[in-house]
Order: sequence, then C-alpha cells, then structure tokens
Amino acid sequence: MAAKQALRVGTKTVRPVLSLNQAEARSRVLNLYKAWYRQIPYIVKDFDIPKSEEQCRAKLKEIFLKNKDVTDIRVIDLLVIKGQMELKETVNTWKQKGHVMTFFKPTEEPKPKDFLSKFFSGLD
Amino acid sequence: MLRQPLSRALALSPSKVAPLAARKFADQVQAQPDKVEVFINDKPVYVPPGTTVLQAAAQVGVEIPRFCYHERLAVAGNCRMCLVEVEKSPKPVAACAMPVMKGMRVKTDSDLTKKAREGVMEFLLVNHPLDCPICDQGGECDLQDQSMAFGSDKSRFTDIHFSGKRAVEDKDVGPLIKTIMTRCIHCTRCIRFASEVAGIDDFGTTGRGTDMQVGTYVEKMFLSELSGNIIDLCPVGALTSKPYSFAARPWETRRIDSVDVLDPLGSNIVVTTRTNEVLRILPRTNEEINEEWLSDKSRFACDGLKRQRLVTPMLADSRGNLTPVEWEDAVVAAARALRDCPPGKLLAVAGDFADAESLVALKDLFNHLGSENVCTEQYFPLEGSGTDLRSSYLLNTKIANVEDADFVLLIGTNVRFEAPLLNARIRKAFVQKETDVALVGPKVDLTYDYTHVGDSASIVKDLATGTSSHEVMKRLENAKRPVVILGADQLKTPEGAALLAYTQELSLRLQDKLVDKEWKVLNVLQRTASQAAALDAGYRPGLGAQLQAGPKVVYLLGADSGLVTRDALPKDCVVIYQGHHGDAGAAIADIVLPGAAYTEKRATYVNAEGRAQQTLPAVTPPGKAREDWKIIRALSEVVGVRLPYDSLDELRERLAAVSPTLVAYGDVQDNNYFAQARALAQSLQKPVSGKLDVQLKQLEDYFMTDSISRASPTMAKCVQAVLKQKQSPY
Repeated sequence: MAAKQALRVGTKTVRPVLSLNQAEARSRVLNLYKAWYRQIPYIVKDFDIPKSEEQCRAKLKEIFLKNKDVTDIRVIDLLVIKGQMELKETVNTWKQKGHVMTFFKPTEEPKPKDFLSKFFSGLD
Repeated sequence: MLRQPLSRALALSPSKVAPLAARKFADQVQAQPDKVEVFINDKPVYVPPGTTVLQAAAQVGVEIPRFCYHERLAVAGNCRMCLVEVEKSPKPVAACAMPVMKGMRVKTDSDLTKKAREGVMEFLLVNHPLDCPICDQGGECDLQDQSMAFGSDKSRFTDIHFSGKRAVEDKDVGPLIKTIMTRCIHCTRCIRFASEVAGIDDFGTTGRGTDMQVGTYVEKMFLSELSGNIIDLCPVGALTSKPYSFAARPWETRRIDSVDVLDPLGSNIVVTTRTNEVLRILPRTNEEINEEWLSDKSRFACDGLKRQRLVTPMLADSRGNLTPVEWEDAVVAAARALRDCPPGKLLAVAGDFADAESLVALKDLFNHLGSENVCTEQYFPLEGSGTDLRSSYLLNTKIANVEDADFVLLIGTNVRFEAPLLNARIRKAFVQKETDVALVGPKVDLTYDYTHVGDSASIVKDLATGTSSHEVMKRLENAKRPVVILGADQLKTPEGAALLAYTQELSLRLQDKLVDKEWKVLNVLQRTASQAAALDAGYRPGLGAQLQAGPKVVYLLGADSGLVTRDALPKDCVVIYQGHHGDAGAAIADIVLPGAAYTEKRATYVNAEGRAQQTLPAVTPPGKAREDWKIIRALSEVVGVRLPYDSLDELRERLAAVSPTLVAYGDVQDNNYFAQARALAQSLQKPVSGKLDVQLKQLEDYFMTDSISRASPTMAKCVQAVLKQKQSPY
C-alpha cells in the first residue's frame, strides 16, 4: 500500500501553468519582451519620465536578463504573467510616473555595515 | 527658635545615622543591647531601645506620614503629622520623636490616629494656598499626596470676612532657590539641613503662631555649596529650583540614572529630560558616596550643557577661522595630520571630563602610531612609585569611612569646594562623632572648626619625621582612626614629590601603629573626574616636559583648563580638539571634532576612591556630535591603524584587559602596596620650604571651574550673587 502510494507520488506530473514545454515558454517570454519594447516610446512620452528610449530599452533588457537563469517552466510562466500585469498597468496608465521610475532606482538604499560608514552616515 | 539643642536631638535617635553597607572593624564588636518588643497594629517587632515609634513601624512596613521628620536630620517633631495612638496613653503621640517602650502597643490606623491626621491636615491646609496648578512642586508634593491619602474631604475654613488666607512675604536667598514662603508649613527641614549638614547657620524662624516665618532674619543669600538640597528636602513648594521654575511637571519627564562628573567624587544623579533636553539633575541615593545630597555645581550646571556646544566638525580655513565641515573632511584632515607626524612629535592631552573608554581608545591609537606621549592636565609626581601603585593617588579611606575617623588632617586642600560632599562627610563626623580636624594650608572656611597648623610645607615634613612639637602631632599619634587627605593640587609644584613622600611617610607611620589593621590613612584627593581613570589606564600625569619638546600634532581630548596654549606650541603645530564645549581647547584648535557630554553617552568614570561607575545616555548628542570613543575609533581606521573594537562591549573587554577595576561597576577595590610605595618614596624626602596654597578659596571660586560650568548662565549668576552678597553689611 505504502509502496504503491510512494510510486504514485514519485511519478506525479506537475500541472503546467501555461506552457507545456521549454520552447513554448521561450516564445511567451519573447512575445512579452517585444510587447514591452514596442511600448517604450509611448511610455517615455505618456509618463514624461526623464529617461530616453535607449535608456529604457537598456533597462528592459537588464530586467529580463536578471531572470535569464530561470529554467523551471512554471516559474518562467509566472514571471511572464507578472510581466504582463506590469505592462497592462503601464499601458492603461494605472501606474503613475513614480511607479515607472521605480524600475530605474531602488527606493531603499543599502544600510551601512562597517563601523566607518556607519559613523559617517550618523547611523550607530 | 524651634530647633532643639543638637545633642538632645541626637540622643533621641541613635540609629538616625544611615546604616553603611558592610563596615567591619576588628575592634568594634558591638555588644547587642537587649531588644525591646513593641506591637505595631498588634504585630510584634523587636527593636533596640531608643528607636522611635516611626522607625519601629517602618521595620514592619508601616509607613507613618510625616513632614518634618527626615532620617538624615535631627528630629524636630513639630509638624504633628506622625501622630499615632498608643494604648494607655492619654493623647496621641508624635511617632518621630517618641522612643519605644517595652510592650508599647501602637495603632497606626485606628480612628483616633485617622482623626488626628485629618485634623493636622486641615490645619495645614487652612494656612496653605490652594495654588497647586501654578506650583512647581505639583506632582511631587508631600502635602498633595498626604492630603489625598490622609486628609479630610472637607474643610471648616470659610473666609467669611474676606480677609484672605495667611500670607508671607517671599525671601530672596540667591539665584538657585526660589522661595514662596506662603506655602511653607514650618517643617524646619531647611533650617536643620542648613545648620547640621551645610554648616551655614543662617536659617531660622521668627515670630510665633500665625506670625511665624522661616527665613534668614535679614535678607541674605544662602551662601552654601550644598544649598540646592533644601529644594529636595522641602516637602511642599515653598523652596523650589529657580532655574527649573515653570519648566516641566514630573509626569512629563523621563528620569535616567547617571553619574556626576563635575567633581571627583562621582556623585550618583538622576538626569531628568524631556524632548531631548536636560531639564534638571537630582541626587540619587548612594550611601557610599553622596548619601542623598548633591553639590550645587553638579545640580545646577546642567544648563551649561545646552550652551557653547560644539555641534559640527570644524576645520581652520586659510585665514585661520574655524569653518563647519562634514565628518569625512574633519576625520581625514585629522588622520592626515596624525599620520604625517613623526611619532616622537605627537602629544595627546586628556582633560577633566574624559571617560575611561575614550581614554583607553586614544591611548591605543597613539601606541599604534608609535607614541607614548599621552598625558593628563593634572600633574602627579612620577618619582618614587609614581602612578604605578594605585594607593598613592586615590582616596584609600573611602568616602563613607571618613565618617568613622576620629582625626582628619587636611593637607593643602580646600575640601569644601574641591569635593563638597566629602566635606559634608567630614562635617557629619565632626558634628555627630566629635571628630577633630586639622588643616595644613591656607586658612579657609570649611564650615566647621579646625586646628590651623599653618600653611608652610615644612609642617608636613615635621609631622612625618615626628619632630613637630605641635599639638596636632600628639593628636594624630593617639588617634585610633586617623585620616590624612592630601590635595592633588599641591603635587604640581616642584616640591610636590617631596610633599607626597612626606604624606606617605606620615600616613604609613600612623597606620602601622593602628589596632585596626583594615583602616587606611593615606588619601590623595584628585581634582577631576577623569584623573583616576587616566592614571589607571597608564596616562602620564602633567604635560610640562612634553610641551617643551615642541610637539607637531597635539590631540586635546576635552583639555580645557588652559594649560596648552598657542604660545607654548611651535608655530606649525596642528591642534586637534575633541570635546563637547567651545572653551579654551577649541579656541586654539585647527581641527574640531565634536564629542558628547556626560549626559549623552554611556561611559565609564572612575571616582577619587577608584570606584568605576557608568553614566547612561539621557539625551542624544547635539547636531553632528558623536560619542567620544567612536570618533577615535573612526579616526584610527582612516589613519590606517584600525582599533580592534566596533562596539562598546568590545571596547569594555579591552578596558578590562587594561585594568579590571575599570569595569567593576559600583565596586571599589582595597588598595595595597602601601609599604612599597613608602619605601620607594624614602629617597624623595627632601627639605621643603614652600607655602601650600589652594585654588578655590571662596564660594565665588567654586561655581565656575570647568568647561560645562563656565558655559552655564546659572553658575555665572551664582558668582555674581555671591560677590554682591559679600558687599552687603550682613
């Protein structure tokens, strides 16, 4: 009984989120990338952000490449879904200027760790 | 006068003297007198005969309300608040003055007692203004509290003729104490404090009945260095603090336990703060140091902590003016100066308020740079055993034990102003135990009678060698517990070493003959709060020779006494000043690093006895000022000799490695090696011919002696007021 159950668990296949194989996941990522890429001129214009199109494209590439080592198809799919949500919020101007700018600059600065930088920053 | 003769009052309460922790003397095995059984609310308690009813009740945890009774003052028995019923006594008796009798049955919450208290409260309130909302005592007033607890709910006082309540004109007793004499309930605590503890017998009462007034007879300032204590003693708002008037209510403030650094005794204090501001300083009871008193400078100089502060790092610009800069710039400039200087030309000077942590850190930094030139401003002779043996620079008798002395010899010290609470101890011994005092040095007012032996240094030599024919010689030799106190100021003269040698010789000769082998005779009274810790850490006392050598970089750690001047230094010398007040040191500096004052940091101070105590931060340092050891630690990293401690705990481990006594908080170690110090000092006993002089002679000299009190407007007012009083015919 127990052996049978263990066998069932061992052979259990995970349910896919969207993509069934690596190639399908890849095409979803590229589609998302292209969608963002084409939207960039409008983003720069609509949100009046102090960034050029080149800078935005560089940032887009950087953000995508941050996850270049993800291999799990389910994780890739979820990242794509999240990316689509971000894009939708941007396109529909549910975001505001500040939200778009957070792609460029993290709001929290790293806290000083060593004695000297703590001393100079007055945090001790 | 309400005051009873002192001896009679003392006879009434033999156990009035505060019990001192762990005091044992070989010859003092006290015979236990038979204890008396009394019943407090039918609870039996055994007390020695002569105990008052009030004290017996306190032993079983029954607190009897009181206004005039105070355990450190003589019994007056005039407020009547402590009336209690005693079985088979026709009238209620005053518990504070009534000695217990065998089988006495006291009832502290019977109807009669309650009625008596209500009656007393009603009478007090009939003659007391109902101005609590504008009274500074509000919230910490005994009368308020006790009228809530023991008073009646109504009064029979009706002003049907609209004549108003009894009113008394206010007195002017100086810039520290505000008097609202209408509020006075005639408990006479202030009178008794002034005559018994402070030794300034100016207060008294005039008139009788409704016309009775407490005052100074003629309009006069209360010329005492302990005057602030009558503010604490006053159970109502008749005597309140002038600098603190209308400043805050007690429930708005935060109270932080700390240690005073304005005199070498390290009195325990409570710092009261609100909105990051020190409002006032109150004494905290420590039987071994300050009992429950505090000297005026320690109490009132706290407004100096808000003025003349260094709030930002500064660098001298091309024209020599100090300009505010960021910490990075100042630290880099200081580090460059330290690094580029040959080690032999470095000099560090520690001032009055340097704490043990920054002292050790600075010494470590200098040692890493290859320099041993770390000194203190106060001199101490290095001949003989020098500062190697702790017994030669501390108060070995210990402050509390001075009470038990039967003869005190003061050499070249005006202990009244150099350590007011030590003087209060000597006075206590003088008044209560008939201790005799003799003084070698200039004639000063110590608030008690003493034998003035003269002011020439040769007297000490004659006493030490036993050739003196003065009566003091005989008194010293016959004394069972003599105490010799040498003022550290005498040691800076060229004859200082010989004077110390003679004092050691005298003390040790006396000590050898004592029956009580535990008793220590030799005491050296330091002048500053930092000196004991600096000497423990291995600082070199005095800086004459180091200044002569022409240093290239001088690091002043709060050194403000004006010993280092621009004239004494080479032209191209860089002066780095680290400290909290813009005083003499900062004025000559090229680089200013703002530090924290004693109310703003957790720091260790060693008092004149050698007792390590720590201050706690009550407020944050102003502006960009930082804790002192951190400045030195940061500097060390920029110089390139990183000190191996990042936190206070790590630094304290280092302190413990330097000297375990520096982190034994609250404890004082017994000092040893007296004989060795004496032997090493033998060769130094050269003829002396000078005269002994003290720096602080009069009350006006006392108030402003350091960078904090010099910045304090209250202290300046005190000096003015004392000088004005001196011109008055009274």
